[in-house]
Amino acid sequence: MSNTAEAIDGSALVGRAGGPARPARRPRPTQPLIGIILPAIIIALWQVAASLAWIDRVFLPAPLTVVTAFWKMLTKQNLALDFLASVKIVGQAFLYGSIAAVGLGIAAGLSRKVEQFFGPTFDTIRHIPGIAWLPLIVLWLGIGAPAKVLVIAKSVFFPVFLNTLQGIRNVEKNYIELASVLTLTRWQLVRKVVLPAAVPSIMVSLRYAAGLAWALVVVAEGLSGLEGLGFLIFRAQGLLLTDQLVVCMVIIGLVGFAIDRSMYLLQRRVLRWKQGYDG
Amino acid sequence: MATPGHLEVRNVSKTYAVAGRPPVRVLSRVSLDVQPGAFVSLVGPSGCGKSTLLRLIIGLDREHGGDILIGGQPIEGPALSRGIVFQDHRLLPWLTLEDNIALALENARWAAADKAAAVRDHIALVGLAGFEKAYPHQLSGGMAQRAAIARGIVGRPEILLLDEPLGALDALTRVRLQAELQRIWRLERITMILVTHDVDEAIYLSDQVVVLAGSPGRVATEIEIGLPRPRDRASVEFVALKQRILAAMGEDAAQRPAA
Ligand SMILES: Nc1ncnc2c1ncn2[C@@H]1O[C@H](COP(=O)(O)OP(=O)(O)O)[C@@H](O)[C@H]1O
Ligand SMILES: [Mg+2]
Repeated sequence: MSNTAEAIDGSALVGRAGGPARPARRPRPTQPLIGIILPAIIIALWQVAASLAWIDRVFLPAPLTVVTAFWKMLTKQNLALDFLASVKIVGQAFLYGSIAAVGLGIAAGLSRKVEQFFGPTFDTIRHIPGIAWLPLIVLWLGIGAPAKVLVIAKSVFFPVFLNTLQGIRNVEKNYIELASVLTLTRWQLVRKVVLPAAVPSIMVSLRYAAGLAWALVVVAEGLSGLEGLGFLIFRAQGLLLTDQLVVCMVIIGLVGFAIDRSMYLLQRRVLRWKQGYDG
Repeated sequence: MATPGHLEVRNVSKTYAVAGRPPVRVLSRVSLDVQPGAFVSLVGPSGCGKSTLLRLIIGLDREHGGDILIGGQPIEGPALSRGIVFQDHRLLPWLTLEDNIALALENARWAAADKAAAVRDHIALVGLAGFEKAYPHQLSGGMAQRAAIARGIVGRPEILLLDEPLGALDALTRVRLQAELQRIWRLERITMILVTHDVDEAIYLSDQVVVLAGSPGRVATEIEIGLPRPRDRASVEFVALKQRILAAMGEDAAQRPAA
């Protein structure tokens, strides 16, 4: 899980380095070859290690074996369905968690009363990791998708909620003063000044939470349930099907990468007003 | 008796209470009388309360001693009849130039078409036509300050307060914007009160220069500038006035122990 998160961050870094110094207004062309070099070396090393049998075939299948396994899982087994199951859980959890978080975060950011009302409860819940909630919630909701959606939504909720709250609280005093000079009403102040000022901080947390949700679904599916990439990966371990295990890992990594890239592009699009904004 | 737009500051005092420290007196019995359409500059050492005085006049801070009257009426909080340009341009980074300027008209009771026309005209007035859709980070310092001036006057206020609006600009841009400011002032007939560190700027633009002294802030002298416009900064009269103002500022500095 933490590996996936690191992979997400690391790949984003490579993607960003070497960009033009000036903020580009349009999405810039995809990264040149330099980002491909390291993966190519790794695959080459992997192939060499497998061919020369440095590591037992059972523990490290050759790249080609993995590709074959992927094809087999896709055509003869239900890889696509498992993949969709995971994606669906993450999508729902991210949607519910982030909508609730932004909504409540705005409410709490604008009103100390609301913040004080939720504060102690949230601070306690927040410190119990989502995965620690899973066993209890599975008892309530069963091993199907809803329990996982709930637990991951919880994990999405807190970073986004806290960042939304902070974003709203950290609006520059100067801008509030300006709004006052321009005789903006409270609602105008919120709409024209406070919310836009909080958007960068909200976007950062959404990007982080999206990656987190994807990483967590693997854990949640591994712990309970009978479908999804997380289920497949742990089952493959149990059956010593390392080729399938690696297939799942690669898919998880690539999807995580894709999620992060999309969030990054969305962020750039939303924050194009920001000077030199580059993620 | 009361002329509309006539600003009277009478014996205004201001004390800041800071928790855990003795209160600081920032302004002490400051009086000003600014006729409608006049251009008045305030000069004085840093920390003598110039920004504080502007904040009181704009209505951001209503706790003070003495009276601030406009057209004979005490001010009650910010109003669209008074505009301000801050030293930092304070454009909202998430709004385009035209949206930033339009923000000043949000609560003006004009027809939408009139608002749009006013925004367009004032962007042109400050020489930024073509940059309507630009975001603040795409503007240079001088352009941003022009935009802030446009925002300050787009609602046709009676009085525009300018708090060191050109202080952060390079010398060339500053001189150019001084001329622009004068042109706008003559065209729009808005009363302008300018805080500046630049004595040349004060003399070049003003009908009257008010020299403030510090700790606590008070009026040291008021100097009328009777020179015909446009003014020649190298003329003998200009230089003589400059020496008088610098002397008035220096006397104050000389009377106090060096900081
Ligand atoms: N909100 C505040 N609370 C306490 N002291 C303040 C506050 N604002 C300004 N001051 C103090 O008042 C004095 C005058 O400040 P200011 O009006 O900004 O001076 P100027 O604009 O002439 O440089 C300064 O000593 C400053 O530290
Ligand atoms: Mg100041």
